[in-house]
Order: sequence, then C-alpha cells, then structure tokens
Amino acid sequence: MNRRTLLGGLFAAASVPALAACSGGITSLDGQGSAGSGGGSSKGGITIGTANFTENQVLGYLYAAVLEAAGVKVGVRPNLGTREILIPALKGGDIDLLPEYQGALLHYVAPKATATEEGEMQNALTVALPSGLQVLPYGMAEDSDAFVVTRETAEKYGLTSLADLKKQNGKLVIGAAPEVKKREVGAVGLKDVYGVEFKEFKSLDSSGPLVKGALKKGDVDVANLFTTDTDIQANDWVVLSDPKNLIPGQHVVPLIADRKADSTVRKALAELGNTLTTEQLTELNRLVDKDKKDPEDVANAYAEEHGLVK
Amino acid sequence: MTVDWSWIGDHTDDLTTLTISHLQAALGAVFLGVLISLPLAVIAHRIRPLRGFLLGLSNVLFTIPSIAIFVLLLPVSGLTRTTTVIGLTVYTLVVLLRNTVEGLDSVPVKVKEASKAMGTRPLRTLLTVEFPLALPVIMAGVRIATVMSISLVSVATYIGDGGLGQLFTDGFQRNFPTPVIVGVVLTLLLAVVADALLVGLQYVLTPWRRRRA
Amino acid sequence: MYELFKNLGAWLVAGEQWSGSDGIAHRLAEHLQYSLLATLIAAAIGLPIGLLIGHTGKGAFLAINLASFGRALPTVGLVVLVFLAGGLSMLPVYVALVALAVPAIVTNTYAGMTAVDPDVKDAARGQGMRGHQVLLQVELPLALPLIMTGLRLALIQVVATATIAAYVSFGGLGRYVFDGLAQRDLVQVLGGAVLVAVVAVALDLALSGLQRFLFRHRTA
Repeated sequence: MNRRTLLGGLFAAASVPALAACSGGITSLDGQGSAGSGGGSSKGGITIGTANFTENQVLGYLYAAVLEAAGVKVGVRPNLGTREILIPALKGGDIDLLPEYQGALLHYVAPKATATEEGEMQNALTVALPSGLQVLPYGMAEDSDAFVVTRETAEKYGLTSLADLKKQNGKLVIGAAPEVKKREVGAVGLKDVYGVEFKEFKSLDSSGPLVKGALKKGDVDVANLFTTDTDIQANDWVVLSDPKNLIPGQHVVPLIADRKADSTVRKALAELGNTLTTEQLTELNRLVDKDKKDPEDVANAYAEEHGLVK
Repeated sequence: MTVDWSWIGDHTDDLTTLTISHLQAALGAVFLGVLISLPLAVIAHRIRPLRGFLLGLSNVLFTIPSIAIFVLLLPVSGLTRTTTVIGLTVYTLVVLLRNTVEGLDSVPVKVKEASKAMGTRPLRTLLTVEFPLALPVIMAGVRIATVMSISLVSVATYIGDGGLGQLFTDGFQRNFPTPVIVGVVLTLLLAVVADALLVGLQYVLTPWRRRRA
Repeated sequence: MYELFKNLGAWLVAGEQWSGSDGIAHRLAEHLQYSLLATLIAAAIGLPIGLLIGHTGKGAFLAINLASFGRALPTVGLVVLVFLAGGLSMLPVYVALVALAVPAIVTNTYAGMTAVDPDVKDAARGQGMRGHQVLLQVELPLALPLIMTGLRLALIQVVATATIAAYVSFGGLGRYVFDGLAQRDLVQVLGGAVLVAVVAVALDLALSGLQRFLFRHRTA
C-alpha cells in the first residue's frame, strides 16, 4: 500500500461524516422537536404552513403575529399547495400548524361524516383526525365553499339552489381547483347528494384569477368560489343555495401537530379566534387581493389594531 | 400593465432573501451534479456498453417535466429544500454527464497514448491530462447546467419553494404584474451574471489556451 | 415503489382512461397540438433569422447567445406575465413555448449555415449565382441536416415543456401532473410524466430515423 492509496483512503473515510453533516444541513425542516407523550411544546419554534390561496396566507400570518407576541418563535411557509399536500406535510413534520376550515377538513378526513353543528363537528374532528394531529378551538370567522353562477346563467336555467343543477345534467361545465374533483365537498358530493353530473370539470384554481376569469368569460357555467371573496357581490353572481347541507359550516380552525400544542399556543390562537370576524377577514383578503398589500403587513396591522400583540 | 416601483422599493429585503435562496438551490444542484457526473462520465467513457445505457437513460430523464419530478419526490423528502435540489440535480446531471463524456471523447487518443508511454498510471493520466484537455467542453456543460438550473428553480414554487419563483405565484394569485416582472428580470440577471463568472473561471482554469494567443 | 408502478400500469390500461375530455387520448392529442403548432411558429420565426445570420455573417453574436438567453428565461414567469397582460387564453402558453424553441432553431440553423464549405459558396458565386440563389440553392440544402437537428431538438424540448398549459387551466398531458399534484394522486402525476417522456422519446427516435434516411447518401 503506497502513500497515495493511503491518502486516498483517509480522504474517503473523512468525507463520509462530512457529507453526512452536509446532508443534515440541507434538510432544513426535519425538526421532530419534542416527541410528546401527552402535551406538546412550542419551545423549539413553530412552522406555519399555508395553502395556495390568499385568505389562508392572511390567516397564517395572523397566527404568526399572535404567536410571536406570545413569545413563540415562528416561521411561515406560504403557498405550499392544497390540503392534500399540506396534511401529509403536517404529519411528517415539514410544518407544524395550518389554518383550516372545520367542515371542509371534517369531510376531507371523514367523507361520510354527518355532523353539521359546530360543536358536533369539532368532536367529530377530534375523533377522525389521524393520530398526531389535533384541532384547536374554532374561531368566529367563517369561509365556506360556494357554488356560483352568473346572474344570466341563473335566469336562463332557473337556478336558485344546487338541487336545480340536476335538471341540467350533462349540459353545464363546472370550474374549480383540481382537488375539488375528488372531494366530498366538491364534485363527488354534488353527485352523491344532489345527483348532479356535469358535462365537464375544468381544473382551475381556488377562487383565484383562473376560475373567476373563466366564469366571466363563460368558459364555465358553475364556479366553486369562497364566500369571503368580494368579487361575488361585485359581479352580481348568484350563490346557489344548499338545502341538503352538502356544504358544512366552515369556521376557521387551527390544525396543529400534537408535538407543538401547548397552552401558550392555545391561548394565543383562541384569543385570535374570538376576535376575528368574517367581515374583518373578508376585508383583510380584499386589502391583499385588490389593494396589493402584503398578507404579512395586513395581518400585523390587524393584530396591533385589535390589541392582540400587547 | 404597469410596474409599481414603490412595491420594489418596499420589498428589497424580501427580494434579496429570495434571490439568495434561489441561487443556493441552483448552485447546490450544479455542485451535486458535477460531483456525481464526473465519476459517472469516466465510467461511461471507459466502459462501452454502459455508455449507451447511461447516455440513453439521461436523455429520457431529461424529457420528464420538472414539476413532475418535484412532485414525485415529495414522499421521499417532503416539502423541503432537499426535494428541490434533488429535482434540479436530475437535470444538471443530464447536461453535465453529456458534456463531460463528450469532453473526454474529444481528448486525442495520441495524447493519452503518449502519457501512457511515459509510464503514467491511468488515474493520473485522467486527472492531469484528460480532464484538463476536456475542460473547455466540460465548462460549456457547467455553463449550460447553471443557466438552466437558475431558470428551473422557479418551477419549485408549486411545491412551496422556488426562490424568485414565489414572486410568480404571488403575482398570479393577486393579479399583480409587478412581482412577476421583477422575478423574471432578476432571474435573467442572475443567469447572465453566473454565466459571465463561469466564462471568467474557464479562462482562469485553462492558461495554456491563453498562452497560445 | 412497486405499488406505485403497479397502480400506474392499471391507470394507463383502464378502459375509461382513454375516453372523454380528460381521457389519455384527448390529452395526448391536445399536447401534440400545442407542441406541433408552437414548433411550427418557432420555425417560421427562427429559420429565417438563422438563415439570414448564417448567410450574411452579421449578427453571429445573437445566434450564439440566443440559446443562453432562451435557457435562462423562466417559463413559469413568462406564462404568468403574458396571462396577466392578455387574459385567459392559450397565448401565454404559445409565447412561452415559442420563446423556448426559437433559440434552438436559430442556433442550429446558424451552425448548419456556417458548416457549409466556403469554397462551395465561392464556386457558386463564381458561376454567376446571385446572393439569394446561393442561399437557397447551395447553402440551404447543405445546411439541411443541422437545420433538421435544430427542429427536432426544438420539438422535443417543446413537448417536454408543453405541460405548462396546465398551469393556466388548459389541457395536454400536463393536466395529469398538475391535477395529480393538487389531489396528491402520485399515480396520476407519474402517468402524466411517463406519457410525456414516451411521446418525446418516440418523436425523437422517429425524427432521427427520418433524418438518417433523408440524408443517407451524404458522406459528411
């Protein structure tokens, strides 16, 4: 064994731990934190993830503002994707906390759930959520899914409720975010509960420019929007009523990993939940979407104004 | 469509953070690509049957849409920077492999034979004769891979990363052109600067080409 | 892993997968339509530019660096920008795809033109041929192999990138990737990716074969 081979061997041996250390650094958010048997801890900091639409980001930054004021170290990762992506990320530890919507979340984890009242839904969620995740008390503000048509379409087909859609089976095109195609509070539920079948499902976005643009242009007849979207009123669009209660109440509810849920977090988020109203949330969304303010700035301003960040 | 200049002024901090993050991802992918492609290229260059397989495989990989690779990596490494870098590395690897093999191919056989005749062992020949001579073509590959990588980082915005790409989804969601324009301009600038620096690097690394002039 | 591929097989083979507006046949047709049209438009723009630069020798800087620029342009950003400027239509998609394809066509056309032996061009001029005659009757035919390579490379790149149509609600194979992401349906994502790769590779092989056949008598 000559000098060269020896040096080569030493180099190889040295590089193994070096590379291992490197790769540990690249996976930045692998913090498993304190594995809690009973009660988590927010000491190691909390990462808030948000979904890919404006309101969720506003909520995420609101959570961040109140948690920071309560002394918790917070990081926000905005625009991560759909619930389908976020929940596995929550379970896996890439994020710790996520603003969710009661009914929608319930129907996602338990598609055939029958609870309709808020208290019932909260209990049902506690049971249905996978282990490791829990919901904190729900807040006052609410944002529901809405199936919307233009005034012209409503008049043309005589549409006032979701049940009316069945009469036009096979004729109408629905536009919604891609995940809605497979959801109970979505195309699947519309078929199961109201017997509605559409001519086509167009994958667009969550109450964003694509779906609203398509509705305006007439590329879709029915659009899945959110009730806090001020464009509904502004365009005189008609929200189809829901006599069979397919769309559950959707109060904002924090979804958190057990490992991070402690009393500081609970208290701060509960205070926020009891302060933020639907009207206020709608206004915050408008500031971001129409006035082009940053969700973070808008959230911080709100928190200060309402005494949540003493 | 107008640019809101005040928005740019208000967001210089964010823009800086995003640019740095963007660069880290792109350069990380190029670095990893170089690390993996060098030995792989030597293998492909020396071992005839593997060559066709490796180059063919990399051509196929190149046709897979980048967003698909990022998504398919989600179960493996989650919503993390790792996913982005691994995804990008697939593409830099393809480009670097192609160019490095081509570079090694371009070394005249006679030069290798002369080196062998002088008694130089194969590894040393590789390191001191073949690679230096292959360097221009390899560096061309590094330039292509770097520029391409800088452009591809933005696709990762669909999995919550994306560096400057986040400006695109933001502008899209709110119907706000300014961040999008800024994002495109900064990405192009990054690419131009990176490319120029690499040209400079190549110049420094190949003094014998300079001496000829 | 094995599960994933087994499900992929089932997904690809299922009968109803191939019919209807979200069926593979329809998405495939859309994808090919976007790709072919975009490449055609890019050729209409890129070929004249490449030929002109190659013939006159002026603007070589552009031909060489256009490829770099095209590579650096972030497709997502371009699509979003054109969408915000022009509204919901296929325009953003075509602009981005054409912007991607033109550099490859220009660069390869230029390379083809510069590879033409200057002596041959001289001889042609010596025979009394005018500029445009030299271009069309001498340079172009000789540059054809590389020009075709450029068109082929451009088409493959466009096919691989036409998934972006799905970013702004349109169809094509990208729809499977994008919807699969939203629904976290990895089989669908893999299906879309595999289909794109297969189409791209198939086109590449077919066109290479065609090239080899067309130029089988050439020695160079």
